[in-house]
Amino acid sequence: MTLKRVGALVCACAAVSACGRFGTAASAGPDLDRMVVISQQYNELIYALGAQAHLVGVDYSSTYPPEIKSVTTVGYHRALSAEGILSLKPTIVIHDNNIGPESVVRQLEQLKVPMKTFEAKDDSIDGLKALLREMGAFFHKETRAQELAATLDRDLAAARERAKAYRDHPRVAVIHFGRASNVYLLVAGKGGSGDGAAASQMLDWAGGEQAIQGNGMQRMTSPEIIAQANPDVILMTEFGFDRLGSLDQAKTLPGVAQTTAARTGRIYRVSEHELTYFNPETGKSVARLAELIHQSRP
Amino acid sequence: MSDPSGRARALILTALFAAMVVAAAASIRFGAIDFSLREMGSATLALLSGREPATLDGRIFAQLRLPRAVMCLLVGACLGVGGTLMQALFRNPIVEPGLVGTSSGAAFGSALYFVLGSVLKFSAGPWTLPIAACAGGVVATYLVFALARANDAGRSSIVMLLLTGLAVNALCLSGVGFLSYIARDPQARSIIFWNLGTMSGSDWPSVLIVGAATIGGIAIALRYAKPLNALMLGEEEASYLGVNVVRLKWAVLTINVVMVAVATAFTGVISFVGLIVPHILRILHGADNRYLIAGSALLGATLLSVADLVARVSLRPAELPIGIVTSIVGVPVFLYLLRQRQYVF
Amino acid sequence: MLTAEAIGYRVGRRTILEDVTAAFEPRRLHLVIGPNGAGKSTLVKLLARLVPPSHGRIRYGSTDATTLGHRELARRRAVLSQAVEVAFPIPARELVMMGRYPHFTGQPSPDDEAICDEMMRLLDVVALGEQPYATLSGGEKQRVNFARVLAQIWRPVDADGRYLFLDEPLTFLDIQHQLRFMQLVRGFADQDDVVVVGVVHDLNLAARFADRVILLDAGAVAVIGTPDEVLTPEHLRNAFHVRPTVVTNPATGGRHLIFD
Repeated sequence: MTLKRVGALVCACAAVSACGRFGTAASAGPDLDRMVVISQQYNELIYALGAQAHLVGVDYSSTYPPEIKSVTTVGYHRALSAEGILSLKPTIVIHDNNIGPESVVRQLEQLKVPMKTFEAKDDSIDGLKALLREMGAFFHKETRAQELAATLDRDLAAARERAKAYRDHPRVAVIHFGRASNVYLLVAGKGGSGDGAAASQMLDWAGGEQAIQGNGMQRMTSPEIIAQANPDVILMTEFGFDRLGSLDQAKTLPGVAQTTAARTGRIYRVSEHELTYFNPETGKSVARLAELIHQSRP
Repeated sequence: MSDPSGRARALILTALFAAMVVAAAASIRFGAIDFSLREMGSATLALLSGREPATLDGRIFAQLRLPRAVMCLLVGACLGVGGTLMQALFRNPIVEPGLVGTSSGAAFGSALYFVLGSVLKFSAGPWTLPIAACAGGVVATYLVFALARANDAGRSSIVMLLLTGLAVNALCLSGVGFLSYIARDPQARSIIFWNLGTMSGSDWPSVLIVGAATIGGIAIALRYAKPLNALMLGEEEASYLGVNVVRLKWAVLTINVVMVAVATAFTGVISFVGLIVPHILRILHGADNRYLIAGSALLGATLLSVADLVARVSLRPAELPIGIVTSIVGVPVFLYLLRQRQYVF
Repeated sequence: MLTAEAIGYRVGRRTILEDVTAAFEPRRLHLVIGPNGAGKSTLVKLLARLVPPSHGRIRYGSTDATTLGHRELARRRAVLSQAVEVAFPIPARELVMMGRYPHFTGQPSPDDEAICDEMMRLLDVVALGEQPYATLSGGEKQRVNFARVLAQIWRPVDADGRYLFLDEPLTFLDIQHQLRFMQLVRGFADQDDVVVVGVVHDLNLAARFADRVILLDAGAVAVIGTPDEVLTPEHLRNAFHVRPTVVTNPATGGRHLIFD
């Protein structure tokens, strides 16, 4: 019922504005009544900010926090359709410029659907905080945004302090299985922005050392790379670990079996969420990471 | 037509036409949004008189749904006829319209665009991808023609084309594989989904282009129906029956390339339609190309419309890639028919 | 009249036919015989204009064959080959109708239909009309093809004559149909504007039915003449390296060859 009423209202407004008799729109702010948000990062922050009440559609890859699964999904973010998005009657479509196919964006623009992309990117802690500020302002949740940023700073500082107490710097390799494919990725050293930079940075703060040198994500071309690097600890993101099933299975991966990590049983499951990108809980994640990689037995 | 064969043929073609109309109507009406008749009517009127429809739904209908439905008909017809033409030309029922390099070349062209598009300076806005794909398809096909020309007047040239086509396909697809490998994640995804096909990018300008290529191609193809029939007896016999086999070959291949390259450029690779549509028709009423060409246009259009409808509705508001659906929709029908009639080779 | 003036055929460095000159008159059944590899099939293909000769000229009546387009040629000359295989399901009758393709665009006329009906009656394949060609036996297929070939040149098109070529067409036919077939060919050849040239393996068939026999050996004409003139033990031994015994066929009074 509400759907129809809102839909009728939207159509009426659209019709009225199409008539052009009322000049420019009276209100300055965007209409957030029905939001479709296509970005894993944005959606997580929206829930953190408590702005999810009007969320009507998300993309398939937005899976955090667990409550988000009750929201309708419009499809995989690289295989969308304008009509699908519009069938939810959104008043605004928010995305992070990672939408495919390209025609979808054009079609939405052509139909004059309000769209929004935030300027800041969460490719660093500062970037994340800037994004929080921007989104806080956009959703009128400025206070909450400030709280999140403050908590993040506090937790992170604390975690780094505690990490300094450890005397060893274990060499860590991160194995990341992508979600919608079976590509077996190795996170390598200091990449530029994104694609592994977050993990490397967090490892650094947690008092660990990157075992694999290189830029960004690497497709594991040869098991020899990881065997040669011989990490002390291996962190595996949940998707891949769960598919393998157990530590013993993980030890059998090619190249992994020969490493110190495998021999000492120091292969741990981490969630994508706490390692591969910056989010408000990164401070807590770094603390847990530090504990994880410094323990000598599982 | 007084003969029973002619009557059966007319009946089947009429039934196919009716099926196409029904499929098109459903395709227009249903989807992520189910339009009301009134909405469709007023939006169509607005479109025809050059105005923009008043409501957002109306605009969605006129700018997204309607061109997409028309595109399904056109591309379906194009692939169906392409399959018929190629199978007739190669005298082999396991041939797809994109066989002589067209599909794989287009895949390579599009992969090149996805992965290296920002690096290479060439850009034509929204036309860049279709141009890259079309160019890829045409160049790959030309490569096949040129390489196979070793034995032009000889009987083995059709076999040469087949084998050269396979080789060039392998080359192009490994090129796509390599580009996928070096691509960043979003680009690799784009490649994957392009190769599964999608009708979602359909707009009126692309419909016009595909329409011109497809309708023109089919009209010309119909004129080659009789020579293609004669070709069934073999190149030598066809020659004795007055067919200029060399000219027939190049004409049919060119029609096919133009139609398929243009269609693939806008919708990605949609496989299986061109393969099974002629089969189904042959099982129903034999292999006379005068019937097959017309029938495969109608059946192809129907099949693709139904497939697109399923793609849009089964997971709505999300969409399935249409290549997956064409296989799932086509195979059971095909197997059913195969069991019903004796299919002779 | 079909004339071949010093035609030859070379593939790469191999000479398959060398300077064949012959005249083929109407109302006469010409049969070409010779050992394997003599170039018989090639000769027929050249005469039928499937491929152009490497040198020399062929005339259909007064017209140089090179001036004729594909379709014009098809309206006056037909070729029956050894075996025709079809990969797709097509009814036998449609195959016969293909013989009329050079004569109509679009749909066949009632005359075309009538000709097809009559040819199928002549060749005793009416009952097979709706069956897919691929399901027929070898002999049935051959009869269907002959119906098609005859349909192609059943009606004269102009004064330059009609030409029927037969490239070893009796394979797969049982003896009853072989004889019937040859009789049909004889009957068809019995028209003022029809030239028939065929290749056969069976020398006794040549003896029985041919008006003229051309013995081809190693790409050149060894002998041309009547069966009696050509089918002598001398000539046959030179070409085939077997010496036949010649007897008189009690039924026809003609020549019959026995090989040991």
